Amino acid sequence: MLRYDSTSSSAGSSSGSLSSSSSSSKPPQQDIDGLLAGAGYKVRSSELRQVAQRLERLETAMGNSPADFSQLASDAILYNPSDLVCWVDSLLTEFAEPPPTCSSDFIVDPVNNQTVVNSAWTTAEPHTPQVHQNITYDEQQSLDNQLTVVTAMEEDSGIRLVHMLMTCAECVQSGDLSLATSLIGDMQGLLTHVNTVCGIGKVAGHFIDALSRRIFQGMGGGSVNGGSAFENEILHHHFYEACPYLKFAHFTANQAILEAFDGHDCVHVVDFNLMHGLQWPALIQALALRPGGPPLLRLTGIGPPSPDGRDSLREIGLRLAELARSVNVRFAFRGVAASRLEDVKPWMLQVNPKEAVAVNSIMQLHRLLGSEQTRNSPIDTVLSWIRGLNPKIMTVVEQEANHNQPGFLDRFTEALYYYSTMFDSLEACRVQPEKALAEIYIQREIGNVVSCEGSARVERHEPLAKWRRRLSGAGFRALHLGSNAFKQASMLLTLFSAEGYSVEENEGCLSLGWHSRPLIAASAWQAVPAWDNHMSSS
Amino acid sequence: MEKGGTIGVEKRMRKERGMAGSNEVNLNECKTVVPLNTWVLISSFKLAYNLLRRPDGTFNRHLAEFLDRKVPANLNPVDGVFSFDVLIDRATGLLCRIYRPATAEEPEPNIVELEKPVVGDVVPVIIFFHGGSFAHSSANSAIYDTLCRRLVGICKAVVVSVNYRRAPENRYPCAYDDGWTAFKWVNSRSWLQSQKDSKVHIYLAGDSSGGNIAHHVAARAVESGIDVLGNILLNPMFGGQERTESEMRLDGKYFVTLRDRDWYWRAFLPEGENRDHPACNPFGPNGRSLEGIKFPKSLVVVAGLDLIQDWQLAYVEGLRKAGKEVKLLYMEQATIGFYLLPNNNHFHTVMDEISEFVGSDC
Repeated sequence: MLRYDSTSSSAGSSSGSLSSSSSSSKPPQQDIDGLLAGAGYKVRSSELRQVAQRLERLETAMGNSPADFSQLASDAILYNPSDLVCWVDSLLTEFAEPPPTCSSDFIVDPVNNQTVVNSAWTTAEPHTPQVHQNITYDEQQSLDNQLTVVTAMEEDSGIRLVHMLMTCAECVQSGDLSLATSLIGDMQGLLTHVNTVCGIGKVAGHFIDALSRRIFQGMGGGSVNGGSAFENEILHHHFYEACPYLKFAHFTANQAILEAFDGHDCVHVVDFNLMHGLQWPALIQALALRPGGPPLLRLTGIGPPSPDGRDSLREIGLRLAELARSVNVRFAFRGVAASRLEDVKPWMLQVNPKEAVAVNSIMQLHRLLGSEQTRNSPIDTVLSWIRGLNPKIMTVVEQEANHNQPGFLDRFTEALYYYSTMFDSLEACRVQPEKALAEIYIQREIGNVVSCEGSARVERHEPLAKWRRRLSGAGFRALHLGSNAFKQASMLLTLFSAEGYSVEENEGCLSLGWHSRPLIAASAWQAVPAWDNHMSSS
Repeated sequence: MEKGGTIGVEKRMRKERGMAGSNEVNLNECKTVVPLNTWVLISSFKLAYNLLRRPDGTFNRHLAEFLDRKVPANLNPVDGVFSFDVLIDRATGLLCRIYRPATAEEPEPNIVELEKPVVGDVVPVIIFFHGGSFAHSSANSAIYDTLCRRLVGICKAVVVSVNYRRAPENRYPCAYDDGWTAFKWVNSRSWLQSQKDSKVHIYLAGDSSGGNIAHHVAARAVESGIDVLGNILLNPMFGGQERTESEMRLDGKYFVTLRDRDWYWRAFLPEGENRDHPACNPFGPNGRSLEGIKFPKSLVVVAGLDLIQDWQLAYVEGLRKAGKEVKLLYMEQATIGFYLLPNNNHFHTVMDEISEFVGSDC
């Protein structure tokens, strides 16, 4: 008889595996009920009885008017459903009196919030439309023709192409460059038989280019991102417009920052990569509308120095200041020019001890993971000084991928899978001019992952599970993003994007993905106070 | 073989139902018939689902997706099974999660190996439809990912779990259409063909609403002349307009109420239809006899503490009357969801029966 031992084979439960091709062997946690873990819930066996009692209390509280509770649920904010104890407790505080000091079964409590009236029926939410028509019928037709008509030969060629890519990557890893080179030639030939406008053909082309560059420039070649900072900003802006990943990142981070700043009159946001400052107008406006009035907002934007005498950081700062003025938010901007994040020193940020600080890192931390794992590696240094700032919140958004594995073939395979999915998702977005440059943005990332090494390889993406361990180990604990953030992120998607994108909740973090494959993950953190000795449990 | 049924189980069932009959069941007793962790799991589902269903018939989909525990597909074999997702219909966004046994030679498949031809004289392919009363859960819900993985192991099968569109946003017949699309897709995959006859050996399986879908997809398949080797229905979701004895006796006693059952039918069936619609009540007044139709053999599992058991038993009876082969497994003390956690005897009994049901193919 098959016995299912969940602790040794948690196929993707909880934080073990957002990345689909990394093995998820989570060390068994003491006393966690293995069967419930397999169902996605973390409960200690010793707490089961307690949870059961609370569920009963909730049931009794709901028993009288179950219909009203769906209305209350719409307004309640729930957190981290995997942690059953917490979740049930948060519901209890929403719907019932807090528990008395002695516990016993079948306590009947008066229900708070019994103000729900039957008129709730008439203000029910409309259905969220399941199909979002954001392209015209003709455009859809032509897209369909591009996407769905794949001849048998094309499909065959596509598979052969992938086979060859893998073989070529294997050759590169083992050093058989002459075979690799001839494979490049073969693949380029095969590309002519495959539709390179979409699907596997398109992404394969980019991987062939990247492999080719790697072979012909030797190991540790120069940065493939030869573009200037100016170019990169443009590409970034187009990537922002063409697909929802960055919008999701900004939106989710802003939501968390807004909540963290609640009650503070002086706030300071440190943005690790300002670019065109696309994230900040929304936050400025949200702060302007804050009940009780906006705080004084300082924004410190970090970015690369502008070579040609322009001060692009300052230009962005001025524009944001203009916006802030128009909505009556007292605002001050400071630019910190640095080629690399590790060159930034905390004194440059001029943080005032009285202000509430938010550190915002959108796809920047992975750049610090240089291959040498020395004791004072850049990531440790930076995380250490961030902690020293004692921020109210640190928002972290990272690609949900394992592109920092030491073995080239593993990295290559993962990247092929990841970027295929991403390109797939991009195709589904409506046809627009931004797409072409957005693709170049992604192409550059691919190039860096595949053809660069050493300090030139900056796209060292790691999955959320690894970031959790790293950040917990560096003295941070997770702040959970709740059901309201989830809901709003989902609604944002239906507004801006095509069908197929999905938001998922994973133990307090949110991820955005394409057809059940998460591609980008957002999390929020806070420094554990220095006197608090135990590390946050993951 | 068209006639069938297990007379022995039936007799035992009738006898035991006669003996049961205490109406004095309260929450406490509910806790005594299932292990504590099962009780916690199903109660928290019940609680969550109560929050999601609105009295006006709408559904809090955002909160549902937030609360549902999902797991990604995993190319790395875990307990000898790996999985990957496939988009089989772009127009509707229909995804399936495919579970395959890892072979000794390819312990770690890469993306090229996913659609490698199955090896074997006879390789069963089980198309699985998850439960959730047509409104809840997904193919990537943790509980169903776990169940599908187990089915691969016990049946030595490939399992295709269909992420069908759900109510109330997508009413009848969307779920059935998606099931049919998935069925045709599976049937046309050359890499799923058994070597013996170069055909795909298809079984349909599902729990709750998934069981209902399996029945209807099977009916459509035989209509189209495509063979289905067997149906496996776990606590299948059927109903009807009248109130049956089991519904009244067990209402609210074991996690499920008549009220929520009614809500889900109202959410799934076309507006204005009642529960005698053939989707809900396939052998009812608007149903159709399967007499003379080559319907596959069925394994129907009924939980003795499930309030809709009268409808499930009527379904079995309907199959029998039409001369179809059906084996009924009546699990007397089982509640809904007993097959989600392997911590009870019903679970192991049923898994063994499923294994035998699929394995008896030659």
